[in-house]
Amino acid sequence: MSKTKQKDASGKSLTGRVIGAVVMAAAGVFCALAALGVTPGAIVLSALTVCAALHALHTRTMKLKNGKSVVQPGSNGLLIGMLLVDIVAASAVLTGFDFGIIMKRGNQFFVILQQIFQPDFNYFPKVVDPLLDTIKMSILGSVIGATLALPVSVIASTNINRSGVAVWAQRILLMIIRTLPTLVIAKFAALIFGLGTFAGTVAIVIFTFGVVSKMMYESIETIDMGAFEAMESFGANKFQSFWSACMPQILPTYLSYCLYALEMNIRAAAILGYVGAGGLGLLMDERIGWRDYRGLGMVLLALFVVVLIIEQTSQYLRKKLS
Amino acid sequence: MEKQTKVQNNALPRDAKVDILATYLTRPRLWWLYTLIVLIIFALISWSGSTVQYKGLANKGVEVAKGIWNGLVSPDRSLLFTLNEEGAIVSPFINVTPEGVPYQLLQTVAIAVLGTLIGGVLAIPFSFLACDKIVPKWVALIFNVFILLIRTIPSLVWALVWIRVTGPNAFCGVVTQSVCSIGMICKMYITAIEDIDTRILESLDATGCNGFQKIRYGMLPQIIPNFISTVIYRFDINVKDATTLGIVGAGGIGAALIQCITSSRWSMVGSYLFGMILLMIVIELFSTYVRQKLARG
Amino acid sequence: MIEFKHVDKVYPNGTKGLSDINLSIDQGEFVAIIGLSGAGKSTLIRTINRMIDVTGGQLVVDGTDVMSLSGKAMRRYRRKIGMIFQSYNLVTRTTAIRNVLTSMVPDMPFWKVLLGAFSAEQKLKALEALDKVGILDKAYIRCDQLSGGQQQRVSLARTLNQDPTIILADEPVAALDPVTAHQVMADFKRINQEMNITVLINIHHVDLALAYCSRVIGIRAGKIVYDGPTQDVTQEILDEIYGGATVPTAGT
Repeated sequence: MSKTKQKDASGKSLTGRVIGAVVMAAAGVFCALAALGVTPGAIVLSALTVCAALHALHTRTMKLKNGKSVVQPGSNGLLIGMLLVDIVAASAVLTGFDFGIIMKRGNQFFVILQQIFQPDFNYFPKVVDPLLDTIKMSILGSVIGATLALPVSVIASTNINRSGVAVWAQRILLMIIRTLPTLVIAKFAALIFGLGTFAGTVAIVIFTFGVVSKMMYESIETIDMGAFEAMESFGANKFQSFWSACMPQILPTYLSYCLYALEMNIRAAAILGYVGAGGLGLLMDERIGWRDYRGLGMVLLALFVVVLIIEQTSQYLRKKLS
Repeated sequence: MEKQTKVQNNALPRDAKVDILATYLTRPRLWWLYTLIVLIIFALISWSGSTVQYKGLANKGVEVAKGIWNGLVSPDRSLLFTLNEEGAIVSPFINVTPEGVPYQLLQTVAIAVLGTLIGGVLAIPFSFLACDKIVPKWVALIFNVFILLIRTIPSLVWALVWIRVTGPNAFCGVVTQSVCSIGMICKMYITAIEDIDTRILESLDATGCNGFQKIRYGMLPQIIPNFISTVIYRFDINVKDATTLGIVGAGGIGAALIQCITSSRWSMVGSYLFGMILLMIVIELFSTYVRQKLARG
Repeated sequence: MIEFKHVDKVYPNGTKGLSDINLSIDQGEFVAIIGLSGAGKSTLIRTINRMIDVTGGQLVVDGTDVMSLSGKAMRRYRRKIGMIFQSYNLVTRTTAIRNVLTSMVPDMPFWKVLLGAFSAEQKLKALEALDKVGILDKAYIRCDQLSGGQQQRVSLARTLNQDPTIILADEPVAALDPVTAHQVMADFKRINQEMNITVLINIHHVDLALAYCSRVIGIRAGKIVYDGPTQDVTQEILDEIYGGATVPTAGT
């Protein structure tokens, strides 16, 4: 058996551990000092963070009765905890965290909530059209976005596309698309295409495209390539092989992702009106602006029912698919 | 054609012939199902396409598109870095004023950190109460409806309601995210709780552990990594969400961004977008890395 | 000393698990229990640590009437009896040593349990247990990175760590490949001989049972059909245990 092991007993390299601890400690101290300034509190936090880092690096050698010894690696738990405390402290300062306001004026929230829970049913006729618009935008957006996503995700999966440059170019593009908030895209679309449902649909297409493409290329990479190779071996081209060997494998997943995207899109579409891209959002903004919380309640109730129906249907279908 | 079939049939033993025919006749016939599905999908598309019509570009559409492009190509560097009169970057290099992109991004992240943490903690009791393996079915149902309610109300609406309480500031963003994160986090916590491997509890039972000890050493080590992973995943989403909360005045980078868009200051829009994209990529890489670590060790 | 006196087990749905079992096993024996699936092997083993309650007769272990125990007394009784499972039943997301340490939990005060605060002596003891099964070098590795054989050894170390007088093993090698299965069986034999721990093992592999155990108990439909030393087991006896089906023993 191995005698005293110089290497870390958990199988990690020692330098990696040291670098990790130093980086974490530095980040913690930076957070504490930058946010709180050089105050006693910040200094205490920094000191504790440094202690935690030392603790993380401290390895003990344990001697067994029969003479063997084991190196017990230090644990990062305390350091990560301290880092989190530092980050929370810094965040609280940056956001002006003030629990007192909640204690003092929190009842306001419940007053509003109470009104929301007593929806004004007379307002319902005005909700119908924007609600239908929202549903239409999300269905159309999901269909178009998901259709566009299929070929792109095939190009972006490493097991089918052997060209590294194409894969990574595609992935970076997808990543950038996904980082843009839907609301910002909708705002741009509304400025370019004019106010209304078309702009909203464009935003949803882009959003769906980004999300479904990513989920798809991740699942394409996990499929069994045996059948694909077999088809190539008897002379099928890449497209034929993909279509006959891989499509049957990914189709259920793809349809399931489409339904999932539709679920998300109903919710996303509901707020797009806020930047003028059609649907319920405009109505909600207007109701809140007028402090008509019972009207808002009606809008939310309608949305709730639609989301419930679509989610239940979609979850039922997704269960069938898998 | 018929003759040919007959010849082939004769070549086979009698039983096999019958079997093949029977198998062929009883083959699964699903064409009507597929046709129905296709028809439904087409009906939905044409229905939803009816109102969504392309009415050409807005009268300033081309100008706006050009503006956005120009902004992205040549962003306003003074928002990102500290510049001297000649436009060179000088110490302390990044722009640390509250108007600068770095500060705005930090505030956005701070909102997400606090919102996710508080939401993640608040979600713990709710998820146990909504798990029908732990509490009676009707209790679970009530809490599930409650969770669905929270998830359905868009975060923007939550923010607009909370603004009435806290005023338009970053703290509003924190409170909003604390509340609206609960829904999704709960949903994922419940899955984690349901996935617990109960065989471990059996072995702890055999060593003589009591109920509390079984929870502490059998269940917690299994669910805590899953809970942390969920919270980090939600953090990723919350950072993205926090960038838009600013649009209604709940702090973060969104407020400044939307102002610049409305007033067509495209180079400033460019630098804000630049910062946002960079931040989101960093956060996504971080979240993926940590969650992989948690899953594989 | 484990004594079964006319022990019966009838499940709530009316199935007879065990009927009229009479057995006496001395301290330090290495017993293999063989029989078809569903014959009652698991039931027999699990009655000993009261994972299953018997419905008739008397079961006495080291002078204690097992059925008279309840609550705290039963948990204290279970401390003396280790149990090994086919599926290891480890918390795969924590390190090997953490898993071994869990077997000390029942003897610790509440706050230490809560914090997971184990003393240096406890850790040393856990490491020694890991050393006994030959995986000391894997102490700080997460269990999901260990192979099946290594995981089964961690679970063996966890059991050893509670200083049992009896070890019950329910199909411990069923999920392992033949080579690893032999190694784990050898571990059991070594522990049995060096530490004088009674080992009761449920096993499907007749050849392994005959190669390592000193006594064989054959069960068929809840009844004991053979009980005797390993060297007396013949092909006829095996055929009888397995209900007339021919048992391939492959000349071991």
